[in-house]
Amino acid sequence: MTKKEIFINATFKDNAIWRQILGICSALAVTNLMLNSLIMGLGVIFTLAMAGMTISLIRAWTPRSVRMMVQVLIIAAYVIIVDIFLKANMPVISKQLGPYVGLIITNCILMGRAEAFASQNKVMDSLVDGIGSGIGYTMVLLAISFIRELFGFGSIFGFRIMGDWWTAWSIMVMAPSAFFLLAMLIWIINTYYYKVKA
Amino acid sequence: MKDSFWFPIVFMLINVVLFTGILAVMFRYSEEKIETYETSSYQQKILSTLSAKIGEVTQQSPEQIMAAYPGSFEKYVQKLEPKDFEREVYKAVVADTVVAYCFEIKGNGLWGSMRALVSTSTDFKTILDFAIVNQQETPGLGARIEEKWFLDQFQNRLFVVNPESKDDVTQSYEFIAETQTPATDRQLRRVTGATITSDSVIKMLRAEFNYIYDYVRSNEL
Repeated sequence: MTKKEIFINATFKDNAIWRQILGICSALAVTNLMLNSLIMGLGVIFTLAMAGMTISLIRAWTPRSVRMMVQVLIIAAYVIIVDIFLKANMPVISKQLGPYVGLIITNCILMGRAEAFASQNKVMDSLVDGIGSGIGYTMVLLAISFIRELFGFGSIFGFRIMGDWWTAWSIMVMAPSAFFLLAMLIWIINTYYYKVKA
Repeated sequence: MKDSFWFPIVFMLINVVLFTGILAVMFRYSEEKIETYETSSYQQKILSTLSAKIGEVTQQSPEQIMAAYPGSFEKYVQKLEPKDFEREVYKAVVADTVVAYCFEIKGNGLWGSMRALVSTSTDFKTILDFAIVNQQETPGLGARIEEKWFLDQFQNRLFVVNPESKDDVTQSYEFIAETQTPATDRQLRRVTGATITSDSVIKMLRAEFNYIYDYVRSNEL
């Protein structure tokens, strides 16, 4: 596969959320604000790309018996790097994201891509796959948070879009809205994208 | 070699040492920056809760006082260390006169503990301003207690209404929906989707005011 194909597969065709149904917890949790979604997405892109690259780099020497421990260690290290970077350079956003940065470690997309791709493919391919998977994940987060923030707060990225006449839809701020919006997104994409392709 | 007994152990150890080392170096490099930000952010929050009162006396706007940080903090704010008082407390002094106090208070939210700053009048009955220092509530839901509209509800609010009471010196409050307008001064707007967190804030304020008032009744700050 060419790097372009790897990227397109990771981002669209085998999208982590709508195709593999991975990373759902964070997709539900942080999507009531677009800024939180974007920062979470950037953190996941960085961690996926760097962890994928590192895991691929040492794959020839990694014993099978400890490979998952090594993968968790590498993923955790990169997540802590993101956490320290945000605390030192973007403290306001670090505070806003609260516990979610630390929870990137538990995002199943990371272990999923490490095990399914990075541990069996070349370094640059793994880097591209990580970036693609991260972008695919971020796209979904932003799509859901766009609807939730717009209807729930009347704003986009914190900027007021709706006028004073707008009555905020409280349900959009709360967790249940993420469930049905995500389900609708998966349903629409599976109906129109994959069925048309088939 | 990969299948030997020792290789996985040695390999794992090398990885642990390598990555822990990278993180330790990175943390050391950023530590000072993080600490400086936290100290400055904390001091600015203290100054911010006291700025309206300081401004009232010095004929300056709160914005002017905040813009003059850190000079204004050094000029007007003093830390107090009262005996047997287990809270951080600061006083705002203008021309040798105490104009307000600021207390660091603690309580429990939905997911963990929270810390806040509350400034009071010199008789400790009225909340002048309120700010959250640290909380671990759900981002986008409970964490919205840090939003201006929520915090501003407490500004200039007479909080201690039963100063003689040994049980509870504070006013009782009821929460209404975020989108509603309070009909009486005993109503506060709750953050949508964060009932427990909103309740926790008022619970923290009431418990801490009882503690503070209990102390100042028989001691001087």
